This record gives sequence, structure tokens and C-alpha cells, in this order.
Amino acid sequence: MTMKNVKPGAMNREDLIAAMTEELTPVRRIRPRDGAALIIFATVVAAIGCSVVFGFWTGMIDGSASPFFWISNGLLAIVGASSATALVASAVPRVGARNSSTTWSTAMLSVLPIAAIITLISVEAGHDHGTSMSDAGALYWECAAYGLAASSIVALAAIMFLRRGAPVAPDRSGWLVGLTSGALGALAYNITCPLDGFLHTAIWHVVPVFVAGVFWRYAAPPLIRW
Amino acid sequence: MLADEPTFARLMKAAQDGDKPATNVLLSEAGLWLERYFRRRIAADAVDDLVQDVLIAFYNKRATWDPKRPFLPWLAAIARYRWIDHLRKHYRHEAKELMEDDAVEDSEEDVVTARVSLDRLFTHLPEKQAKAIELVKIGGLSIREASQKTGQSESLIKVNIHRGIKKLAAMVEEAE
Repeated sequence: MTMKNVKPGAMNREDLIAAMTEELTPVRRIRPRDGAALIIFATVVAAIGCSVVFGFWTGMIDGSASPFFWISNGLLAIVGASSATALVASAVPRVGARNSSTTWSTAMLSVLPIAAIITLISVEAGHDHGTSMSDAGALYWECAAYGLAASSIVALAAIMFLRRGAPVAPDRSGWLVGLTSGALGALAYNITCPLDGFLHTAIWHVVPVFVAGVFWRYAAPPLIRW
Repeated sequence: MLADEPTFARLMKAAQDGDKPATNVLLSEAGLWLERYFRRRIAADAVDDLVQDVLIAFYNKRATWDPKRPFLPWLAAIARYRWIDHLRKHYRHEAKELMEDDAVEDSEEDVVTARVSLDRLFTHLPEKQAKAIELVKIGGLSIREASQKTGQSESLIKVNIHRGIKKLAAMVEEAE
């Protein structure tokens, strides 16, 4: 039972308290681990959906996946885990509970696209580092779009949980929705992608995190304010 | 005398379980605590509405308190969130007035609210922004009068008020 339609000042405080007491019902406590379970579930749904649509890539089972595949997806998993942990904690009002793990893990992830850009410049300058623009995946941007589409399932779950809770820093929660959904959505798609060259994984498999982060920073707050 | 942390926590746990008498006491005590919390932060005549606003939010979001954690920081976080919301609405109102160029017609209530809300943070603003806010939003001068008094152009006065209030709201929002 909620008192959403009651406006402050419409009655005196004693009457308001009496009305709220009268309507009181027991509540089931909202716990961050419920949110974590919901986000994991959404990620699994996104991964199954991507596998159904794009087909499961057996490269990570038969050993043909490159080290770049493992590095990029490992970093995405770390960003997803740290931001999801911060996100579900942000659904419950607290004072002084912030930590910087998401910032540092995202900074770590950003090393990949930065390294890819530096590599591209050095390839142009004639230094071949075992990669080149003739790499079929280097310009295959569609993977970023598929990763973003998968991330929307995770974002939906995150927003649903935040709406049940009481986030007291909506802008920060917005960032966290973007980083969590971007990282886990990209991860859900990437396991189906057979393009595992450095340029492709370092750019198109990672960019959904940053795009989703910026998008949800602005799109999420109006949806989760209370 | 106000209830202490263990009493609040005990009452809140009972409220989550649906205990009506305990909830009545809890809401009354929380109301007193909030009154004291807001008395130092906003204009006296706005306190009761904000206390009621927080009590409603507190009631609607009571499922988000974890009995393993202290109660008062949880309540303070909700109070701070609603307070920021109150400032944001106030800021929007201020911005609208500036756009319409009728800032001089502020009601007395707005001027008082602005003064109480902004005074504590004033020292963190650049001098020109603080001066513009002080003259127009607190002193009640028109944009033109403030411009003549400070030597800043009318546009600059508006910009400084706009940026200054925005910065103040951001500072409150970032404060732990």
C-alpha cells in the first residue's frame, strides 16, 4: 500500500500519520541480492537470446578463441560485476556508501579501445604489430549494435529493480545502469561472435559499455526518480 | 526527548512487520527528528511541508530499510534526497523567472527561502556569482539595478545568477 496520491500539506501532520498508520500493511524487504539475481537472470536471457539468433560460437570450447577474446570478455565481466554490485547497493538509501571500484574497472576497460587506436595509428605509420586494417573485423561495427541491443534487456531489469527501491542519487544510478547493462549485454552477445582479432574485440566488443553509459546517464534518472 | 537509534530501529522493524501502534510512534518520532534536521536547512515556514513529504516517502519506501543496518543514516539519506528535490524545484522556478526577466517580482517567501538555502554555501562561489545572487535574489534589486551597482552587464548578471544557483544545487547534491 502506498500513499502516492497524498500531497504534503494537504492535511496536518497528525492526520497524515494517522492515515498512513491506518493503511499500513507488512512489507517484504528489498535486498540488493534480489537485484543482483534479477540482473544475472536478464544477462542469461540476453545470452540465450543472442545464441538463438546468432548461433553459439564453439571457439571458446574447442580452444580456437584468441587471447583477445578472453581478455576483452574478462574485462567486461569485471566491469559488469563491479557496476552491478554498486547499482544494486544504490537502490537502498545510505549515506557515505560510495566506492570507486566501478570507475577503476571502467578505466581499465578503456585501455583496450585506446590501445586499438594507438595500434591503428602505428599501422598507418608502417609498423605491423600482427594486425592490419585488412582484418575483416576491424570495421565490422555491427557487433557494437548487437551488444547494445542485448544490453537493453539488462537495462530493463536494472531499472525495474531501481524503481522498486529508493535510489537517492539518480544520476549516479543512471551511470551504473548504463555501465552494467553495456558490459553484461556486450558480454552476452560477444560469446556468439567468431571475430576475435585484436582491433575488433578492443573496439566493437567494448564500445557498447561507453555508449550505454552515456545514454542511460541521461535516460535513466527520469525513470527512477521517486 | 527524541527517540535514539536502537528505539528507531526496533520501531522500524515492527513497522515493516505491519505493527500499527509502533508505526504511529515511529512516524511521530521521525517527524520530530526531521523537523530538527530541516530547521537548519530551509525556511521555517517550509519545514512542515518538507517533513510531511519525507514522511510519505519514508512510508512508501519502508521496505528498503535493512534491519542489519542503522536506521538514522537511512532516514537521513531519504531526507537529503527529498531536500535536494525541493531545491531542484526551487531552482527550476528561479531559472524560469530569469528567463522571463521578472526576477525583481519575486515574492517575499522566495527571497527568504533562497537566502536560507544558499547562505551556507555562498562562500564556495566565485565572487561575481555570489554578488549577483546576493543583490537580486536576496537583496531584491532588479537585474538592471544590480548591473549598475556591480558594473556587470545585465546579461552577465543573469548568467552569474543562473550558474551560481546551479553550482550551489550541485554542491548540495554532491555532499555526502
